Amino acid sequence: MSAPAVEPGGAAIEFDRVSHTYEGSAGPTLREITLRVEPGERLGILGPNGAGKTTLVRIALGLLTASGGSVRVFGRTPTEARQARWIGYVPQRSTAEVAFPFSVRQVVGMPAAVGLRPWRRSGPGARRAVEHALMLTGCDGFADMPIGRASGGQLQRALIARALAAEPRLLVLDEPTIGIDAAGQQQFAAMLAHVQDELGVTVVIVTHDLRTIAAGCDRVACLQRTLHAHVSPEGLTPAVLAEVFRHEVEGIFGEVHIDAHRAAECTDPGHEHPADQHGHGGHAGHAHGGGGHDCGCEGHGGGGADAGKGGGRAHG
Amino acid sequence: MRTVDYLFGSPETAALFWPAVVVGLLVALLCAVLSPVVVLRRMSFIGQGVSHAAFAGVGLAMAIGLGAGESGDWRVLAVVAMTCAGAALGIASLSDRKGVNADTAIGIVLVAAMAAGFILIQHASAAMRARGQTPGFGVESVLFGSVLAVRWGDAAVAGAVVAAELAVLWARRRAMLFWAFDEVGAASCGVRVGVARTLLLVMLAMAIVVTMRLAGVVLATALLVLPGATALRCSARWWPVVVVSALVGVLGVAVGLVVSFELDWPPGPAIVLVQVGAYTVVRVVGGLPRRA
Repeated sequence: MSAPAVEPGGAAIEFDRVSHTYEGSAGPTLREITLRVEPGERLGILGPNGAGKTTLVRIALGLLTASGGSVRVFGRTPTEARQARWIGYVPQRSTAEVAFPFSVRQVVGMPAAVGLRPWRRSGPGARRAVEHALMLTGCDGFADMPIGRASGGQLQRALIARALAAEPRLLVLDEPTIGIDAAGQQQFAAMLAHVQDELGVTVVIVTHDLRTIAAGCDRVACLQRTLHAHVSPEGLTPAVLAEVFRHEVEGIFGEVHIDAHRAAECTDPGHEHPADQHGHGGHAGHAHGGGGHDCGCEGHGGGGADAGKGGGRAHG
Repeated sequence: MRTVDYLFGSPETAALFWPAVVVGLLVALLCAVLSPVVVLRRMSFIGQGVSHAAFAGVGLAMAIGLGAGESGDWRVLAVVAMTCAGAALGIASLSDRKGVNADTAIGIVLVAAMAAGFILIQHASAAMRARGQTPGFGVESVLFGSVLAVRWGDAAVAGAVVAAELAVLWARRRAMLFWAFDEVGAASCGVRVGVARTLLLVMLAMAIVVTMRLAGVVLATALLVLPGATALRCSARWWPVVVVSALVGVLGVAVGLVVSFELDWPPGPAIVLVQVGAYTVVRVVGGLPRRA
């Protein structure tokens, strides 16, 4: 079976007014998403839990059919693109059952081997692709280690190598840095940049974590059921982030007003923001939205980044 | 040595005991090959649910007039197999739905099957006796198995099922292992995960059906759990784990049967205790610090 041809000049992914409503749910999970991902770019899709990120990914992978709109991946339907192995998907680490006694190399070779006839072994080309993927992701040093002994960061890299070994044109990463510390995140960003330089693959990162986005995405699409903004990481202003994460902050603190002005004014990196949430009883309080703003507050930028997760740290 | 007497003493005793030995070794091999995946995918309890569905299956077969007299009737096995496969798929589809926990689904199927099976077997047995027939199955033999009930017909069925399952497992090994290791990742690589899951459940059901005659429904799951759990503590590589699991399964049954013949223990419990012993030895002596 030969792979279908890629349309020249086409987008890597083109979402055209994509909407989705799950059966039996009250409202739409996705509303009118229009988004073009250019070949070779690194796009971050940022949104809190329940924003529809996973739904959007499943639609792009062809694992779910959108109830409205159309999706093309390199000019083809998502299912065609998946069958042609153009899409490398890296699920959240928690989905893998790491107690299986497989070596890292075995795991990386799985996608290439799965399509073979039972009596065939992987050919030299596929084996080279596996070794190259191991090297690019820095897994070559522990390729023979059982996958169960890999650290969180190592497992993440192994799963990325697994996706790359099938030589995809598009790499989709679902929450790639959950549970990885700051140093690990920097390593992750450097590794991803290296992979992209070497292979020219298009990368889409889906996350609720601003630090992941900050790790060198070319553009960011902010998702909260519909797209709120479509900007470079530098353009992620507190106001934009506040809009995206607002519903969750409201859920925790009641109705809150976003004091973007105060957040932007802050220039002291060591400054601890007071817990100035007064949302009880419906009274207006303040919640600084966001962590990627340019105040230089490294120390608490992560707090804002995790605004979707940790209630008490919703200030930026 | 009673074992030698039973197996080589006279043609009569040989005909009585050899079928059980052959069935035992065949089902041990099959269950042991499935076992590492059952353990790692945490499907032991699903195995319990499915094997207890066999109880209802036997009841159903007897209620429609099968299973009288000498056993080895393939139609009984067919009814039991369908009941078990139905239970496996029922459990899988129940636990896929939101709001139903897999444990709860299995718990419900298990007790329902036990209750229905018990009533059906009792009533059908009474009706058969009233007609002057001898029931081929009693509650106890279904629960704990019976060596003397195993005939060459059972051995032929077991051989066919084991050969077919091992062939399917070998042909589908890459997709099955990818699915077992990472369902989401496998789906994104074009593995039909629904097919893989259904296939494994049906194979589990069939393995339990052919094991039931010898070890009974209560103990059938032991053959699906103990060899894998033991092997996973012996190696951190997949194929060695499968080989060790097969050895533990087959040797466990062989030694268990010898123990059962020598000490006049029922064979199912003897086999299970031997395999539990092997697991305990591996745990105590050391081996790998694994979860299993």
